[in-house]
Amino acid sequence: MSIFIDAKTCVLVQGITGSEGAFWTKHMKDLGTAVVAGVTPGKNGQSVEGIRVYDTVKQAVIETGAEASVLFVPPRFARDAIFEALDAGIRKVVVTADGIPVHDAMEIRAAALALDAKVIGGNTTGVITPGVAMMGFLPYWIDRVYKPGRVGVMTRSGSLTNEATAMMVAAGYGVSSLIGIGGDAVPLTRFAEMLPLFQADPATDAVLLIGELGGTMEEEVAEALEAGIFTKPLVAFVAGRNAPEGKKMGHAGAIVSGGKGTVKGKAAALRAAGALVADKPSQIGALFETVFPIKK
Amino acid sequence: MKLFEYQAKQIFAETGIPVPAGKVIENVDELAGALEVSGLPCVLKSQVLRGGRGKAGLIQFAKTAEEARQKTQQLFDSPHGVYKILVEQALDIKKELYLAITVDPMSGKALIMGSAEGGVEIEHLAVSAPEKIIRQKVDITQGILPYQLRNMMFGLGLSGESFKQGMKCLESLFQAFCRKDAELAEINPLVLTGDGQMIAADGKFSIDDNASFRQEGLKRTRAHFDSDLEFEAAEAGFPYLKFNGDIGLMCAGAGLTNTVYDLIADYGGTVANYLEFGGPNYRRAVEAMQFTLRGNPKVILIVTFGTIARADVMAQGLAEAIEKLKPKVPIITAIRGTNEEEAAVILRKIGLNPLCNTEEAVQAAIALCK
Repeated sequence: MSIFIDAKTCVLVQGITGSEGAFWTKHMKDLGTAVVAGVTPGKNGQSVEGIRVYDTVKQAVIETGAEASVLFVPPRFARDAIFEALDAGIRKVVVTADGIPVHDAMEIRAAALALDAKVIGGNTTGVITPGVAMMGFLPYWIDRVYKPGRVGVMTRSGSLTNEATAMMVAAGYGVSSLIGIGGDAVPLTRFAEMLPLFQADPATDAVLLIGELGGTMEEEVAEALEAGIFTKPLVAFVAGRNAPEGKKMGHAGAIVSGGKGTVKGKAAALRAAGALVADKPSQIGALFETVFPIKK
Repeated sequence: MKLFEYQAKQIFAETGIPVPAGKVIENVDELAGALEVSGLPCVLKSQVLRGGRGKAGLIQFAKTAEEARQKTQQLFDSPHGVYKILVEQALDIKKELYLAITVDPMSGKALIMGSAEGGVEIEHLAVSAPEKIIRQKVDITQGILPYQLRNMMFGLGLSGESFKQGMKCLESLFQAFCRKDAELAEINPLVLTGDGQMIAADGKFSIDDNASFRQEGLKRTRAHFDSDLEFEAAEAGFPYLKFNGDIGLMCAGAGLTNTVYDLIADYGGTVANYLEFGGPNYRRAVEAMQFTLRGNPKVILIVTFGTIARADVMAQGLAEAIEKLKPKVPIITAIRGTNEEEAAVILRKIGLNPLCNTEEAVQAAIALCK
């Protein structure tokens, strides 16, 4: 079992003929992902890693039945590529581009909400069910991180995912599915919106949440726990207690957040909602032991 | 990128939002010309990006040309890095409003906020009396609608001529927000003068760096940075922060970097400087180490866990950097990720003891500082 994609999901790669697109298409296929088509405008008829390339998403969908798309296109073209996928009826999109303009992200987010589409990213390493399928560029061959198991992982930081997940795996746990929602200021899908998928997944017994300072996504997870939307054990690590003061957005930033956004506030909200919060990555394994002991 | 006040006001003026009469000067010789524009009494506003300019004495009032000259000189001589001063007419302030547009990540809409009680205490007001901040979300593909403008103006308690001026002001601000790819467009205070004029007395404007391919004028200058070193590093493409502590930190990725900051503080250490070694910089170890050494650290700590930024490439670069720069300070590494075994072999060959655990590496670095 898995969430978001499984071995049968027909995956399209937008930007497949670029070096990153081609390289990761091979890895996605090697893992077992059903990559059925690629799209690069002007390259219809070519083949990459044995995958047929089309000019348009619409054509690829009609001919191959592609139902999910992973984008390896530069950030300035992400808006166009995402809308092309949505227009062709695709409702699962993973956006790896790092540097999508905020105004583009606002438009995409609003459109995805209206269509009830799951657009993951931008600036994400992707989505993986270890041993089954992947959309993105996760180094699944690092087996002290991407070991198959029964803990779902949700993260907003690529660099921290390996660090924190390795701690969990070192304690004897493994990953059911991992979703990187990306590190952008306007994530196209938010943490709390992924929780129902992990709740419904029989292969997931608990979730590891890897958060960061800023924004309100961790607080929204706490609200989802309070509301009973997610009832499995949840362990969180939130980085940035001592981060140097970042870019402060005039007075508006402070007014919008209304005191939210600090690691202290996030940890308190999560704890109050019944989650366990690790202060250091090395505590993650021990916290899982308390809620979800491994049968030895 | 945050703009300076004078740049924000240029944008306001271009879109039709009234701003005080004024001129930017770069030295005291230009003051006389500026006073012809601003008149007297005038306000001398240091163009720095830090907040709290008033409390720091970086905004001064002058009634006479001589007073203006003396105070201008003092501001340019101050240790706060004042490169430009905006000389403006002093306003007859009757009322101060607040008006801002920012991004609401949850809905993907623009968020407009306003208050009839503008000024420097607005953040406190947001906590003590949040009901006094009125909000309106706007779909940026639809644009701002007249009823949304009216909602804001009624909320601000405006009527008559100022209601009309406020409508125009907000509509213009929204256009600027969209046209300029702004993350923030803020007027605080939006002043109502004794003779019934509405004027943007101060403003903040921040343009999304990711939109630089379609926005002009996003070049950072020395005035955007606290030190020469940070400016030079940025010019060379390295995000770099300078502090006064012990550890020279080379780290990859914001999340991991933040975690390392946390751990250094937890274990009682301090940071001398931080350099982003990830992204396109992972192949530039020699330059990276040069900048790190210029921060005078007692120890260099390198923590990475990369996929595309391969561990073996970083280790090889590090070996070259050490051979070339011969750093006198010890180096602690936790370089993990793709090809980490090869990286460990390279690092051992040059006499380092590659660590695998971030916390262990942080503790080892702190121990070497004592």
